Amino acid sequence: MPSLSQPPSIDVHDMHFSYGDACALKSITLAIPENRVTAMIGPSGCGKSTLLRCFNRMNDEIPGARVTHGSIHIGGIEIHHPSVDVVKLRRNVGMIFQKSNPFPRSIHDNVAFGLQLHGSQNRDLIAESVESALRSAALWDEVKDRLHDSALGLSGGQQQRLCIARSLAVKPRILLMDEPCSALDPIATAKIEDLVRTLKEQYTLIIVTHNMQQASRISDHTAFFYLGELIEFSDTLKLFSNPSNPLTENYIRGTFS
Amino acid sequence: MPHIFRDYDNAIRHLQEYLLTMAAVTRQNLEQAMQALLRSDIDLANTVIAADTDVDELERKVDQTGMEILVRFHPVATDLRLVIASMKISTNLERISDHAVGIAKRARKIHRSQPLQEVQWIEPLYTHAYALLRDAMDSYTNHDSALGQSLHAKDKELDRLHKQLTRTLSEQLEKPDGGSASWLHLIFIARSLERIGDLSVNIGEEVVFLESSRDIRHEHRKPTPPTQPPSP
Repeated sequence: MPSLSQPPSIDVHDMHFSYGDACALKSITLAIPENRVTAMIGPSGCGKSTLLRCFNRMNDEIPGARVTHGSIHIGGIEIHHPSVDVVKLRRNVGMIFQKSNPFPRSIHDNVAFGLQLHGSQNRDLIAESVESALRSAALWDEVKDRLHDSALGLSGGQQQRLCIARSLAVKPRILLMDEPCSALDPIATAKIEDLVRTLKEQYTLIIVTHNMQQASRISDHTAFFYLGELIEFSDTLKLFSNPSNPLTENYIRGTFS
Repeated sequence: MPHIFRDYDNAIRHLQEYLLTMAAVTRQNLEQAMQALLRSDIDLANTVIAADTDVDELERKVDQTGMEILVRFHPVATDLRLVIASMKISTNLERISDHAVGIAKRARKIHRSQPLQEVQWIEPLYTHAYALLRDAMDSYTNHDSALGQSLHAKDKELDRLHKQLTRTLSEQLEKPDGGSASWLHLIFIARSLERIGDLSVNIGEEVVFLESSRDIRHEHRKPTPPTQPPSP
């Protein structure tokens, strides 16, 4: 049974976040354990994607969006400290989006792109890393004979695994996933879920999902958000069988007052 | 609190209705089986034996509805515990009804072979077993976890009465002129009532799981003494 006492990979303390004057997250305190899958659930607009995007400072790109109070530590370092290099942070904290977004280039070049961006020039080393990343993303066997074909010719599920391979190639420690299966059929979804379970041996994974069955299937811990607040965070089995908070109970059961 | 999906509410309501109907028929079967025994009423015994198929059918409906809820609505939290507990309670009710049928069949045999005045000795046992079943189902209906949990202690008294009566009935059976099969039937009837108490305790335990998510099964077992290491 996974334990919340696992060392935290991400430590959020009393964090408030606003888009301009609109407060999107209020007093979030959360310790995400490493080498575990943590699911974040809640109704639309509850702040779960906003929090996910805080972890690699993707919200920096949005004018007026800012952390107004509190801290986020990753590996013991406060990620908003002026000395933090955002590019290195994002290398360390990869992100997979709802809709797969391969570049209009070959399968090989998609995976090699991040490595080249970070200065790697050695062709043999790049080829080795591309194969390793594609194997980790459970895509190698399907694409090994057509590495130089366009990535856009892959199926939706394969494109999403290619994006995971692209993230893995730069050797992150944390993978953020924002609704990674919402555009996929059940078989492609099952492959991604199987992959998530495998990847947690080496990475910390955080997944935002509206699919509660998916959260209960693949995560070790689940956080429930409502109106910008963290309502409950516990072992997934506990949260889905005996939630502590009535708001969590109502949401996961699909009841309304 | 209603679900967003109305069909979900309807399915849960059907599940509860089937279970409560099953409990009502089971209680009636037990009452009538005992009346058949105490009043030597063969017609009533036959009614109980025939009514058991209703209980079997209701058990199937509880299972089908429970499975449908699991497949279609993926219940969680209270709903999940309700489905699991209801399906397990229905299994216990079905077995209680089987015991009632067993009592009715033995009542018929006693009446046909050698009616005994001493069938009345069974009544205190029946009163306790019936109260346990009633309390078990009341704990389910009234969401009363404390009542569900209290059944184990009450079952101890039933066990004591059963042991006492079995001893008395065995003595009768062993008498030189007491070799009637009817004494043996009474021993088995007493055993059925004792089992009905145990099955009612199981129902109470399921209610505790349903209402407070605690698994209290097997908590009352005496701890096994540690085994001695072999001497060198």
